Amino acid sequence: MIWLTWRQFRTQTFAVVAILAAAAVYLLITGTQLRHSYTTDLASCQPQNSCLGLLNALQDQYSGPQFLAEFFVMAAPALIGIFWGAPLIAGELERGTHHMVWNQSVTRTRWLAVKLAALALVSVVTAGLLSLLITWWASPLDTIAGNRWGTRAFNARDIAPLGYAVFAFALGVTLGLLLRRTVPAMAATLAVFIAVQVLMTAAVRPNLLPATTTTVPINQTTMSQAERFDRSEAVTGPVTIDLPAPPGAWALSQTPALNSAGQPIQTSEILNCWSQMLAQGPPAFKGASSGFGSLGTCLAPLDLHVDITYQPAGRYWPLQWLETAVYAVLAALLAAACFWRVRRLRG
Amino acid sequence: MTTILEAHALGMQYGRRRALTDCTLDIPSGHVVGLVGPNGAGKSTLLKLASGLLSPTSGSISVLGDAPGSGPAQLARVGFLAQDAPVYPNLSVADHLRLGAHLNPRWNQEFAARRIAQLDLDPAQKAGKLSGGQRAQLALTVAAGKMPELLLLDEPVASLDPLARREFLKYLMESVVENGSSVILSSHLISDLERVCDYLIVLVTSRVRLAGEVDQLIAAHHRIVCTRREPDTLPAGLEVVSAEHTDRQSTFVVRTDAPLPAGDWAAEPMSMEDLVLTYMETGGPGHRPATPVSEAVLNDAASNEAVLNEAVSNKAASNKAASNKEAGR
Repeated sequence: MIWLTWRQFRTQTFAVVAILAAAAVYLLITGTQLRHSYTTDLASCQPQNSCLGLLNALQDQYSGPQFLAEFFVMAAPALIGIFWGAPLIAGELERGTHHMVWNQSVTRTRWLAVKLAALALVSVVTAGLLSLLITWWASPLDTIAGNRWGTRAFNARDIAPLGYAVFAFALGVTLGLLLRRTVPAMAATLAVFIAVQVLMTAAVRPNLLPATTTTVPINQTTMSQAERFDRSEAVTGPVTIDLPAPPGAWALSQTPALNSAGQPIQTSEILNCWSQMLAQGPPAFKGASSGFGSLGTCLAPLDLHVDITYQPAGRYWPLQWLETAVYAVLAALLAAACFWRVRRLRG
Repeated sequence: MTTILEAHALGMQYGRRRALTDCTLDIPSGHVVGLVGPNGAGKSTLLKLASGLLSPTSGSISVLGDAPGSGPAQLARVGFLAQDAPVYPNLSVADHLRLGAHLNPRWNQEFAARRIAQLDLDPAQKAGKLSGGQRAQLALTVAAGKMPELLLLDEPVASLDPLARREFLKYLMESVVENGSSVILSSHLISDLERVCDYLIVLVTSRVRLAGEVDQLIAAHHRIVCTRREPDTLPAGLEVVSAEHTDRQSTFVVRTDAPLPAGDWAAEPMSMEDLVLTYMETGGPGHRPATPVSEAVLNDAASNEAVLNEAVSNKAASNKAASNKEAGR
């Protein structure tokens, strides 16, 4: 069985090795250049304390390749599901070759077990190597950005792609077995995989671990860090103040400005401070000297606060592991369904 | 082993469609069994049940004394060649033999390689580029190379031209003789089978109409022509299979296990093809073996016309091939 699996999968294996090798060469060369630029930039800017602009420029310079590389890592599981998973059984059913291979002296269960195990392993190794490459390549850029929670940053780093790959593969196999046609199974695999990824990223991941909520008072210090201040046009309606979450944390949501009783304040209550701020000129960018800072000084006596809900920075690895585990469990359930179905399949 | 296939009240239903109904069979070993019937009669279903590709919805079946497809040991004893002889288009001829060698404990590489050489197949050729006949031969080699005790072949020659049919059947018989295996092969054309089979099963509209050794079946059936009469006026012991009437004459096909008694009729023996066609014609739904004179004669003739025509047009070919019959056996 191992020989047959290898023989049927040989061409794809060579193709994958070639693609991985090309990706590795490209990423190793550009990654080395990126590291070199990063260290020389740091060495030159740190004495003058002028790193922000220089490092932002470096980030911009590599944003194109970074987007492509991250997109490739995120697309790889889908491609694995479409081109390895979906045709695995559907192709046999379409050609009728299951009649030949299921009548050799090997049970269907063993046939499926060897194929699933071998290709799942290759899928995980492929995704793992890609993820390892891009995680290494992008680490200077990740340090500059200081945010590991963006969709592209989280989904295309570390171990999460391994879970996606094994899930997409099992999904493709299952849909191929159910639909019995390769092309519809490929399309369905892509659609379902994207739907599951969107659902996981947007709705499941924030809730995999209970989030932390912190209360931030509105004063001169906090307001100088504010990213946005927004009042409604009318005198009623809430006031929105976007304050940054703790460093490295993943901000999930925050309340409008609340008074000491925990009730949202009305725009009318801050109109005085608002007029004062406008009188001093339009608010500049964030920083201690900005208009938001003086607004904070004016608002401080009102005893306002904002509740921020977030995942702390230390949750990155627990969430990576949890998400990978969720996908691995889904893949195992799909594989079990395949075994159940293939034994009852009417040839 | 005295029985290759034993079925009891075997039934198979796909949704509401009955593919096989109340099939009871007991086929002794050492035969080349022909499974004949019009398209859609249930031949493929019976063979797939015997190979374990399908599980019956009612009744029971055992092949070589065991449940079909029950494990690697049982799979090793039964070879199956599916309709249209599927092969892997991307694998070479040699790869198919390697597949057989890797997946079958009793694989006979010497036999398989010799057959490929006899067939003039290039081992490096991709199976997808073979002709229909070559593909069927390759699939047969893979099925026979695992040295099964029973070889099941589903319409193996249906897609082949007459020359390729003859070649295929010749090689099939050589393999059977060499390996000593039993064979069940199906076809909707009796002319394909009459040269090679010594046991016959006629399947019509999902039911077994006739089963037995060819010699015994031929000896037991007679066509008698007499003055017009009702079937029930014939002597007891004659089972009327079919009846045809003209204004003055009645023609009956009768079955009797005893010698045909003398009577006021002209009796003639029947060929295998005659016999099969008679049973196919009378096998329609709700048809009784004997049709009373008063009822419409041959009322299923229309539905069987297609089969008949096909059989007649192939008769010439089969007659031409008759001289090879002995060699084939």
